[in-house]
Amino acid sequence: MFSLTEDIIFVAMGIAAILSVIFVVLAIITKDLVKATIFSAVQSTLYAFLLYLLMSPDIVLVYVAVSVGLLPLITLVLVKKVGRYEKV
Amino acid sequence: MDIKTIMFVATIVSLYINIGVCIYGVLSKPNLVKKFIALTILQDSINTFMILDGYRLWRAGLIQPPVLLNWSPTEEDLKQFMMRAVDPLPQALVLTAIVIGLAANVFLASVILHLYRHFGTVDVDIIGVLKRVAISEELS
Repeated sequence: MFSLTEDIIFVAMGIAAILSVIFVVLAIITKDLVKATIFSAVQSTLYAFLLYLLMSPDIVLVYVAVSVGLLPLITLVLVKKVGRYEKV
Repeated sequence: MDIKTIMFVATIVSLYINIGVCIYGVLSKPNLVKKFIALTILQDSINTFMILDGYRLWRAGLIQPPVLLNWSPTEEDLKQFMMRAVDPLPQALVLTAIVIGLAANVFLASVILHLYRHFGTVDVDIIGVLKRVAISEELS
C-alpha cells in the first residue's frame, strides 16, 4: 500500500520534470517573446508542483507568487515596451 | 532498477538538461529580453536542484507529516523525526535566494528598459556597433 503511494509520488515527480524540459526548450527556441513568457510561466508551475512533491511547501508559497505571478508580469511589461518579436 | 530509481534519475537528468539549455540561451541569443527569460529559468532550475539535493525518501507512514507533533518529545519521537524530516538548510537558502533573485531581476529589467530608451534596440550586436560608432565619433 505504501509502496504504491511512493511509486505514484516518484512517477509524478519524473513526469513534471520531463514536461518542464519540453517547455524550457520551447521557451528558448520560439521567436515570439510573449509566447516565451507564457512557456516560462508553465515551466514555473511545473517546478512548483515538483517542489511540493519534494516536501518543501514553504518554498512553494513564495515560488508561486514570485515566479508564476510577478516575473511574467514584469517580463510582459518589458515586452510591451521593447517590441514583441525577436529579429531572426 | 525499479520505477522509483528510474523516475528520480529522470528528474535529475531533466534538471541538468534545463540548466544546459538555459546557459545556451543566455550565451547565444542576441535579444536582451530572451536572455532575461533564460536567466530566470536558470535561476529556478538551480533552486529546484538545490531543493532536490536536500530531499530524503520518506519511507514509513506517508500519512504522517514531517513535523514534531509532541510538545515534550521523548527520545523515540526525536529519532522518528530525524528519520522522517527533510534537510531544512537548502530550503532556507533557496527561500532567501528566490526573494533576492526577484530584486535582481527587477533591476535587470529596468537596465534593459534604459538600454532600449538609449539605443532604440535590445539586440546586443547592434548595441555594440552603435557604441563603437559613438566612441569613434567622440575621439575624432
